[in-house]
Amino acid sequence: MGAHASKGLVPVTVIAGYLGAGKTTLINELLAHDHGRRLAVLVNDFGAVNIDAVLIADHDGQTISLKNGCVCCSIADELGDALDRVLALEPAPDQIVIEASGVADPANVAAYGQGWPGCRLDAVVVLADAETVQAKSRDQFVGELVVRQLRRADIVMATKCDLVTEAEREAALAWLAETAAGAPILTRRAGQLEPELLLETAQPIERPSPQQPHPGNGPAEPAFDSAVVEVNGTLDRDRVEAALRDWPDSVLRVKGTLRFNGAVGGLHIVQRVGRRWSIEPAPDGFNSSHTGKLVVIGLPGTLHRRYLASSLLN
Amino acid sequence: MADMTVFVARTVRTMEPSLPVAEAVAVRDGRIVEVGTLDTMRPWLESHSHEIDDTFKDHCIMPGFIDPHLHPSMAAILLPMHFTTAVGWDLPWEDIGPVRDSEQFHARMESLDAALAPGDPLFTFGHHPIWHGPIDRSALNQISTTRPIVAWHRGYHSITVNDACLRWMDLDTAAAGRHPQVDLDAGKFFETGLSVALRHLRGYLLETERFRAGLDRMRQVIHHGGHTTIGDAALGFYGFEQEWDHLQAVMEQPDTPFRIQLMPFAMGPEGDERTDDEFVERVLSYPSRNTHRLRFSDHAKMFADGGFFAELLMLKPPGHLDGRHGEWMTPPERFEAVARALWNAGLRIHVHTSGDLGVELALSTLEKLQWEHPRFDHRFTFEHFGISSAQQVDRMAAVGAVASVNAYYVYELAEAFAARAVGYERASQISRLGSLERAGVRFAVHSDFPMAPAKPLNNAWVAANRLTESGAVMGATERASLEAAIKAITTNAAYVLGLEEEIGSLRWGKRADFTVLEADPYEVGAEALRDIAIWGTVFEGHKFPIRDG
Repeated sequence: MGAHASKGLVPVTVIAGYLGAGKTTLINELLAHDHGRRLAVLVNDFGAVNIDAVLIADHDGQTISLKNGCVCCSIADELGDALDRVLALEPAPDQIVIEASGVADPANVAAYGQGWPGCRLDAVVVLADAETVQAKSRDQFVGELVVRQLRRADIVMATKCDLVTEAEREAALAWLAETAAGAPILTRRAGQLEPELLLETAQPIERPSPQQPHPGNGPAEPAFDSAVVEVNGTLDRDRVEAALRDWPDSVLRVKGTLRFNGAVGGLHIVQRVGRRWSIEPAPDGFNSSHTGKLVVIGLPGTLHRRYLASSLLN
Repeated sequence: MADMTVFVARTVRTMEPSLPVAEAVAVRDGRIVEVGTLDTMRPWLESHSHEIDDTFKDHCIMPGFIDPHLHPSMAAILLPMHFTTAVGWDLPWEDIGPVRDSEQFHARMESLDAALAPGDPLFTFGHHPIWHGPIDRSALNQISTTRPIVAWHRGYHSITVNDACLRWMDLDTAAAGRHPQVDLDAGKFFETGLSVALRHLRGYLLETERFRAGLDRMRQVIHHGGHTTIGDAALGFYGFEQEWDHLQAVMEQPDTPFRIQLMPFAMGPEGDERTDDEFVERVLSYPSRNTHRLRFSDHAKMFADGGFFAELLMLKPPGHLDGRHGEWMTPPERFEAVARALWNAGLRIHVHTSGDLGVELALSTLEKLQWEHPRFDHRFTFEHFGISSAQQVDRMAAVGAVASVNAYYVYELAEAFAARAVGYERASQISRLGSLERAGVRFAVHSDFPMAPAKPLNNAWVAANRLTESGAVMGATERASLEAAIKAITTNAAYVLGLEEEIGSLRWGKRADFTVLEADPYEVGAEALRDIAIWGTVFEGHKFPIRDG
């Protein structure tokens, strides 16, 4: 089992992006999907969102409002409160998904994942409406904000790609890649969900039919692939850090455990989501039966086990 | 007992253009019967029993002062703390001199520590590194190793605590250590990191007895400033119903010499309603709970960009000196949708604006709403109005907007903003009252207390002089005239609150609310406004002296 099965911290995934980017739709699909993870979803309440969608996977209602503004006005701290409430649930959720307000700086929401008691940050996923994001980036009121949100992303997900022509889609993806320099850019069509990417599963993907043709203008997007990289013995930490930094954008999620040499030795949990990566000592009592194993999720045809394994070793 | 009380004064400044100066005000049942002289009042005096009250025979009677925008609930949290600020605060229970440097700061902390009961936490508000130098956990440990100490930054966005406080908070230090905006070694919690500390401190700060003691101090502050009416510009920061209960318990007392016009904090839909229409219904339902002193009406508060003191204002190009950015408190599309719902329901909208892009959002929305659904006398009010352009002011005039301005920004922030935030040109034109006056846009001035001292005469003084704390003049062309500055705390402040039929000037039928001054503002002139001593107030015909003078 993964880290969450032990007494670890609950991973927090921040879903951000400007209004209309498709955050609520994505979260609704995530809730409806049979991914086997117990989720707590906290959504902001700006705008006429579908309140029925605000729930924990077992239908305990939890809504929070994430208002922007200065802390002197928000001693009530609804987000902190909501995190405390969901962390107190029995059993605890496997993962917390926070939908950030459309005008939030994702870094401010991510800070809760990083430093709230009981939590750790999994990733910041920023959604961008492929049809409108470039125009929004020039808007006098929110242009700068839209760009700033993209620059905070660990993963950018271009949405509503089936509403534009292929040429427009390519232009949008190129613009996103340039704007969110360094973050992988994924495309998403309505109804097509990749829980393996949004959630920490730590399990290899088993997909019965990975190449379903998809209705719409563009070609079907390839599904994701996974690889298990097993490494025996202890590794050099600097080498592993370099590998986590240097692995290509097509490596979207990495999770597993490794042992290191020397003073920083011992069992560590290694993770990468998009461009965010971390190495943390495994908590006491962590199930260490798989001591040198990483589950890697990425675009098909890009996960070369031998390359991945050798880049950890050399 | 006589039917009427006739207050005679050296001068009565009515702020009514038809009869600007008088000598006497006759009052019955809390309302004015007639203003004039004992001679002109003779028909009333001959037909009703009356007594002459000459308490104010050497004083100047003004209409009761009005601050249309302050925050009792925020004040309730802050006022129980010990102020330690670079600019002195004259508070009713303590005249706190300025604390200008590191040595004075530590001396003040030591004396506060010595005065408190053992074990009571020490909260101080107002630390600023520019004056007081850096502080950290070890510096506060030198004050006390056993008493929890919390030093709140003047800008509200960070605190520094000592070891005893870390123990008191029972902090998850591992989590705090991971937080990007917590520095445990220094004992500092800032921005979003502040919420990690507030998780533990909040219960103490919001505890009923303490909160109500803070509100009671706010009650004293309001009286001390000479107000007889204030606007609570966003009820519901910490919880609407709790705040309403606390306000009723503390403010609705026979000896409270002022009334509060309440503006609900309008973001909706939130809570129970699903639609903007349901939200509007909720706002419209509030007046049914009005008490004598606490009243809702048809006003609602919205937020455009972030705060001015917090430096979260949104600016048009060229933006901030250092290229950083402010924050929207409401997404622009959402702002427009909520404003439209309120506008079409006939409500009066007040919008918090700090920077010229915030002003632009509110203004372009108002222009659109006027096009879609024209309204006269809508009182769409620009609140704070930190940075704006003269062209925006002309457009405000064209669509019938009014303003409620924080003039005090000029005094405390204009020079710092020139040097560090936006450069001199824009900083010198903060709170452009001269342009508003020239364009014929009615404006009030407010304190936004606890952001600025709740002293209407001081705010009028800043408005008319534009002097900074160091004595420099910032933007002389944006001064308000003496007349406009006084209207800004009387008639026009009433107008902004929609209460001009009831208060704001002295004439027959209005509430007998006076602020009684030791000198006549029109005689001493703009330069001396802030030095005028206040005898006290009359609220609905009853005298309320400020005893400690």
